[in-house]
Amino acid sequence: MANGTQTHDGLPENLRKRLAVAVRSIQWSYAIFWSLSTTQQGVLEWGDGYYNGDIKTRKTVQAVELKADKIGLQRSEQLRELYQSLLEGEADQQAKRPSAALSPEDLSDAEWYYLVCMSFVFSPGEGLPGRALANGQAIWLCNAQYADSKVFSRSLLAKSSGFTLQTVVCFPYLGGVIELGVTELVSEDPSLLQHIKASLLELSKPVCSDKSSPTPPKADDDGDPICANVNLEIMDTLPLENLYSPTEGIEFDREGIVELGGNIHEEINMDSPDECSNGCEHNHQTEDSFMLDGINGGASQVQSWHVLDDDFSNGVPDSMNSSDCISEAFVNQEKAISTLKREDVNQHLKELQNSNHTKLGSLDLGADDDLHYRRILSAIVGSSPRLIENLRFHYTDHRSNFLCWTKEALGDAYRPQAQQTMLKKILFTVPLMYGGCSFRLQRENCGKEWLRKSESGDICLGHVLSDNRRENENFLALKSMVPSISEIDKASILRDTIKYLKELEARVEELESCMDSVDYEERARRKYLDMVEQISDNCDKKKIDNGKKSWINKRKACEFDETDPELNRVVPEDSLPLDVKVSIKEQEVLIEMRCPYREYVLLDVMDAINNLHLEAHSVQSSAPNGILTLTLKSKFRGAATAPVGMIKQALWKIACSRNCRTSIDFLTCIPWSLLNLKSRK
Amino acid sequence: MEHSSHESLLKHPNSITYESPFPLYALAISHSPYRVAVGSFLETYNNRVDILSFDPDALTLKPHHPPLSFDHPYPPTKLMFHPSNPNLLASSGDFLRLWDLRDHSIEPLSVLNNSKSSDFCAPLTSFDWNEVEPRRIGTSSIDTTCTVWDIDKGVVETQLIAHDKEVYDIAWGEARVFASVSADGSVRIFDLRDKEHSTIIYESPQPDTPLLRLAWNKQDLRYMATILMDSNKVVILDIRSPTMPVAELERHAASVNAIAWAPQSSRHICSAGDDTQALIWELPTVAGPNGIDPMSMYSAGSEINQLQWSAAVPDWIAVAFSNKMQLLKV
Repeated sequence: MANGTQTHDGLPENLRKRLAVAVRSIQWSYAIFWSLSTTQQGVLEWGDGYYNGDIKTRKTVQAVELKADKIGLQRSEQLRELYQSLLEGEADQQAKRPSAALSPEDLSDAEWYYLVCMSFVFSPGEGLPGRALANGQAIWLCNAQYADSKVFSRSLLAKSSGFTLQTVVCFPYLGGVIELGVTELVSEDPSLLQHIKASLLELSKPVCSDKSSPTPPKADDDGDPICANVNLEIMDTLPLENLYSPTEGIEFDREGIVELGGNIHEEINMDSPDECSNGCEHNHQTEDSFMLDGINGGASQVQSWHVLDDDFSNGVPDSMNSSDCISEAFVNQEKAISTLKREDVNQHLKELQNSNHTKLGSLDLGADDDLHYRRILSAIVGSSPRLIENLRFHYTDHRSNFLCWTKEALGDAYRPQAQQTMLKKILFTVPLMYGGCSFRLQRENCGKEWLRKSESGDICLGHVLSDNRRENENFLALKSMVPSISEIDKASILRDTIKYLKELEARVEELESCMDSVDYEERARRKYLDMVEQISDNCDKKKIDNGKKSWINKRKACEFDETDPELNRVVPEDSLPLDVKVSIKEQEVLIEMRCPYREYVLLDVMDAINNLHLEAHSVQSSAPNGILTLTLKSKFRGAATAPVGMIKQALWKIACSRNCRTSIDFLTCIPWSLLNLKSRK
Repeated sequence: MEHSSHESLLKHPNSITYESPFPLYALAISHSPYRVAVGSFLETYNNRVDILSFDPDALTLKPHHPPLSFDHPYPPTKLMFHPSNPNLLASSGDFLRLWDLRDHSIEPLSVLNNSKSSDFCAPLTSFDWNEVEPRRIGTSSIDTTCTVWDIDKGVVETQLIAHDKEVYDIAWGEARVFASVSADGSVRIFDLRDKEHSTIIYESPQPDTPLLRLAWNKQDLRYMATILMDSNKVVILDIRSPTMPVAELERHAASVNAIAWAPQSSRHICSAGDDTQALIWELPTVAGPNGIDPMSMYSAGSEINQLQWSAAVPDWIAVAFSNKMQLLKV
């Protein structure tokens, strides 16, 4: 094999140049000449090619600007060299390669496709080139990347490399096959074919993309991708950090060029689209290549970060290169032909063409193709495992559980009554099941309610939009809510608010401890289910009110009849008829309880302990004067441990159990602190 | 490949199902030896996490032998394995707990409790393990805070009051950047180097519509996805253009319950919802005028509550619906 220079033996010398002319004049992405193999009969293999598509990273030795055509030739040359060096294997990769040689990370998706194409061979009648040669006729394939592998064996390659190859044309030429491909959908056009053939014959025309030609040109994606790509490279190198703290000197260059890159949704700020007349369509195109390269494949992006970081660390000269690139592209744009709007493709016609093509090729290529593809991939792509994974993802479609989506699926789909039930439960209800927590939450949310009308009450928050205005509004709102604020300045507003909050918290705590803690959990649950935060609950209030009323009545009666012994029992002085203490030390839980004795109270306690996964190993109890004093030592049975609050709550429940027979018994269930409070008043 | 959607459950021998005695919610898949942790969803105190073994070659999914499981108080809200160590599992509920999976048993490693008083805790709605810095776990809680733990030392690195209301999900983007969603309807990005400020990159169009889940595209950190309460839309956000979503994927017939980006491709995302469907979307370079259609779909037997697309097995998507957990080949 030659040293990667232009031609094979037997091929016309300036074939590459002629391919260049042909593909550049119609502005397609690549041109390949498949030649008959000298070693195997009738087999087509790579002859020569010219790459005219998106370039990701330019690597040139000299800083001299080359003309556009020369750049293309050089690029194709570099790609060929890269392919051959990869084929030679890893051993040689350690060998010195010229610094300007390409490495796999530098390639764009289209270049990858082009590179891997170099490895393909076609038996007679196999694949697009094979069939073109066998039939002696041109084949025009639209929607190439969606084509069946039987029709177009490289459709998977195109798809997985991310190269949106849409149209491929093959025709026999000089004993081989010429293939051209482009990323746009171009409907079959015999005159175009003629033009290509004609341009292949004309040797004397200078290779230049900016000369005007009468042929139907496409919207220009030649110049733009270069500048869109460059911008994208630079965008990629912006690590997330820079979004927050741009500091270095180089930053200016990056930002400047980023600005040129623009935003996907907003108007692209580059000058070139405006000069080039297409307006909206053209912007979409640049957005296309922009977003295409942006969203595509992981590996190439990640690796490019490192490469370009090096570039940038070299300093200004490299950024100059990129801006050179841009200015060059602009120059091309200016000279570019004014483009005609492409006609809409006739879908039906295309399908017809495709089905015709499928009839031609009937070989079952399935398994052979897989093997060939994998072998080639492992030979070439061995060093980038991520890329292989990427390819594998698309590759195993045929065994998938998933079906192609159809619109009909939307019509008869299932729609349940209640939406997102489990998700809502996990987020709204389950967190509240942990007993000890809602207590604190109530207090916090109470505090928060006051500040809720204003949007931020937290120091750690900062909104991007209209910070100051909102802040001032919030402070005013706060001032109106807190009665004790007199000053206007922010510091004192905050100070007074804090003081007021503390007062409120203290009051709430008092009130809450007075409430019946039995209904506590149910109340919390109801609260959050309704998504309404309120401190008081009417139900409970009634019970307590009843309790209070009867107590008050009794108390009044008491004042008149102080000798009632039963009532005297109700008003505690020194002794505490109700107390629950729970302490956890390592794995051991110590429970000390004091509550009025009733039937089965001990049983209830043991039951509750059991439910909380505790195993009691020592119990001491006594019940003098009808008051049960209980000391219980227990251990957690398994890994799940209940928090102290939960245990306490469960025991309180039992202590205040409402299985009361007499009203006196009921009264004794009221927590002593309430009585304390009343007596204070 | 155009079959009726109703038959999909029967016609595909490649789907691998595990049927559990109780409803499942939390799911996690580890790297080789491919363990699957499933958490029960019972609205009582006694809940359990079981470990299953997945063999992608033999296509089997069965309980680990010898049986590995542990009890959990109330349903675990999320389960997740260490990014590279298949023996370390974290669960969230009342606290963040770490578990060590050994050959014959599961030992609790630590209980990370942030509250000062031992009585009270702030239950966690979700957490995320930082893949770049695996010693960092970020948790989100209903007390409006997000806590970042250093699990090697077992201490809190930082705690931020992230939102005005309960925080429902959290996702790491980078070693020091995370985002969270909340009942206040906003997606905020936080940078640990600048804790005073956060950036709102999206707010739900109806004010105060809670955002329930968040997923950050680990292949392309510019994109995030989120879902709203009672909505069938998956909102795709670009962090470079705040407040305006890049796309709204609206092809579910009922509300969406879970979303997951493809671990190996930056353009694909999967969503599952109450319409019993799991849809895989391919985000195009330019969206058509009628919105984006999904690439492929799967119909399960009932509402799909959970979806996991793990980097450990990028060819498989795990879904959980009612009592079943399935692994679907992509």
